[in-house]
Amino acid sequence: MGIYIGKNTMITINDPKYPKLLKQINDPPKQLYYRGNWDNNIFNNCLAVVGSRKMTSYGQQITNKLISEIASRGITIVSGFMYGIDATAHKTALDVGARTIAVMPCGIERIHPEYQTKLYADILENNGLIISEFEGDSLPAFWTYPKRNRIIAGLSKAVMVIEAGLKSGSLITANLAKKYKRKVFAVPGPLTSVLSQGISQLIKENADVVTCAGDVLDYYNIKRKIINKKEFDNSLNNLEQRIIQELQQEPMEIDVLSRSLKISSAQIGTTMSLMQLKGLIFIENGKYYVH
Amino acid sequence: MFIKVYSATNLGLETIGVDVEVNIASRGLPIFDIVGLPSKSVDESKERVKTAIVNSRIEFPSRRIIVNLAPADIPKEGSCYDLPIAVGILGSVIKCEIPEKSLFFGELSLDGTLRHTKGALLLSLFAREKGIESIFVPKASANEAAIIKGINVYPVENLNQLLAHVLGKIQIRPAQYHKEESSDIEEKAEFDMAEILGQEQAKRAAEISAAGGHNLFMIGSPGAGKTMLARALPGILPKLQEEESLEVTKIYSASGNIPPEGSLITICPFRSPHHTISQPGLIGGGTKPQPGEISLAHRGVLFLDEFTEFPRSVMEALRQPMEDGYLTISRSQARVKYPSRFILVASANPCPCGYLYHPKKECICTQREIKRYRKRISGPILDRIDLHVEVPVVDVRDLSNDQKSREFLESSNRIRERIIKAREMQRKRFLNDKIYTNAEMKNEHIKKYCFLSKEVKQILNQAVMSFHLSARSYFKMIKVARTIADLEYAENINVNHMAEALQYRPKRENYELS
Repeated sequence: MGIYIGKNTMITINDPKYPKLLKQINDPPKQLYYRGNWDNNIFNNCLAVVGSRKMTSYGQQITNKLISEIASRGITIVSGFMYGIDATAHKTALDVGARTIAVMPCGIERIHPEYQTKLYADILENNGLIISEFEGDSLPAFWTYPKRNRIIAGLSKAVMVIEAGLKSGSLITANLAKKYKRKVFAVPGPLTSVLSQGISQLIKENADVVTCAGDVLDYYNIKRKIINKKEFDNSLNNLEQRIIQELQQEPMEIDVLSRSLKISSAQIGTTMSLMQLKGLIFIENGKYYVH
Repeated sequence: MFIKVYSATNLGLETIGVDVEVNIASRGLPIFDIVGLPSKSVDESKERVKTAIVNSRIEFPSRRIIVNLAPADIPKEGSCYDLPIAVGILGSVIKCEIPEKSLFFGELSLDGTLRHTKGALLLSLFAREKGIESIFVPKASANEAAIIKGINVYPVENLNQLLAHVLGKIQIRPAQYHKEESSDIEEKAEFDMAEILGQEQAKRAAEISAAGGHNLFMIGSPGAGKTMLARALPGILPKLQEEESLEVTKIYSASGNIPPEGSLITICPFRSPHHTISQPGLIGGGTKPQPGEISLAHRGVLFLDEFTEFPRSVMEALRQPMEDGYLTISRSQARVKYPSRFILVASANPCPCGYLYHPKKECICTQREIKRYRKRISGPILDRIDLHVEVPVVDVRDLSNDQKSREFLESSNRIRERIIKAREMQRKRFLNDKIYTNAEMKNEHIKKYCFLSKEVKQILNQAVMSFHLSARSYFKMIKVARTIADLEYAENINVNHMAEALQYRPKRENYELS
């Protein structure tokens, strides 16, 4: 387990198929090992998405929201296959049927982390790519992560950072991107969160703030999707509407909701179950969110 | 001279009659010996009996005294043979009639008084079963034995008093059963539900748990109030019914957990063993199998705080007794069956450091650690728990300032009133089924008593699909919905009951990682 031996495939820096953007950086890898079907179109519109391994539920929600819209408009999501934001970004891209590239910090024959074997297979199945500059089944080490990060930044026109601490690999990637003259997008989070500190620093250093997928799509010259305001509000009963209103402001637990609406938790719980079955809201880490 | 006195021995919850045969030979060297597989504690009885008789100012015969405890092949244990042996010896010394159709039972003190002895209730049950009219027990144990009506329970204070009674000089009056004074539920609970701020959903889950006997699992960060909530549970549990009460008291009597002068246990037991407990400590065991915590929690609550810290083997041992409601402990010397129908209330942190999902504090656990931590909770055990609830951290300052939410708080007494009514409904329903609560329902009962309308079925099926509920969870949801309906005195389960029940399903994110 954890070791995937496929067809040994490699591309060197002199190959015409070598990604052009990656070639522009000051220390491009001399060779790239890969799994999957090499198709140069995949490199046309790449967006790197990086973020914390300790993703919060907010991070997961915003990643889902942004990436599903961005990826469905034909942008390839490049990320590092680590659990947390990385894996969520890959998964979301796959969910909308988009191609995605995972850049590994370990040898090409290894799947790391091991338990994401399914995600690995899914990426390949969806015509995505797994890339590494290391051969064999070598283990990742502290020094391989920053090296991997330079490929992530190098492949992409822009890097989007979602949730990052002050000392994090995500900031390394963002700084590399700056060095390579690529765009850096920062997705703001709540200031109270530790995982917003890195983001705040990026914003102070003039990174572009992302508030909706359109901000990123504009940069790639892709038209924003016009969202037609759904008229489902009328189909909801009074309590459901009030719950949605509360949750739109801030995701919360049943207890808090019952206190602020002054309705017993049993009754709220009943309504919430039904709303959940209708697909209006979902629960994550004990808090309810609006879809 | 040969005298036969009747007594009994308790093996688990069963009682076996023992004949105490005392023979004082007129020939032979002076000796005092007990035969019939006495254990150390029975063997030491010799010294207690001898000294007690001497200290009662009765001459101890210096002859060849042989005591036989028949049947001779059952190992005898405990101190309850002191009294019958002493009576046998006194009978031949004083030459008086030993009361017929009587059992003698009790431990002697060196000064001739009798001490509280465990198992008195089982003795009087045995007496009733065998048609024995009277039993002589220590005064401190008499109230416990007097629970069973129709038997003369003679409270014996000391040997001289008993002797006077036998000789007809005085008359010991049979003990009358009287209730213990300190059996108020209010005193039993450490906290009142009204003292707990916030945690509305968890409180509601506790209410449902108490009403239907459902097992409850709470997950939440340290300081969120899991333990407090569990400790408030005894305050909302209804008093035991008569039959339940007797079941519980039997276990406590057999294990020597009834205090002197104690009587029927009417309050639901609440047991909260520490997580360093051993397997025999939890489920019972020993060469002479003793009841464990699960049996002591029979018809009550077994609270396992820090559930993840319990050794795996100990946790797994809970499975079968949870399912069956009894446990048979088999050892080479004995095979004993103890009932164990308890409400399991377990609590755990979401991760090793405890602060995963905490609004303020940062969790310092790695994914791998969290994964390993969650693996510690046994899946099969989780599957046997009906109610799963998150206990989020509350900001106490917010809550205590909010006067209105304080008025919202219900006291344990009010909640208990609802629960008593819900239990009443269940009792009527299960009159002919030998079960007491909704949680005990088997599939046949669910078919019989839980009619689901088309709409309810639709909701449930939809939930099975979207929440990935297992087949067992499917039935658990119905049981919980039945209890919620009972709390509203509703005849049938409606959509709202079912929807609320779905709130307490096991949420996947808490137990595994995607």
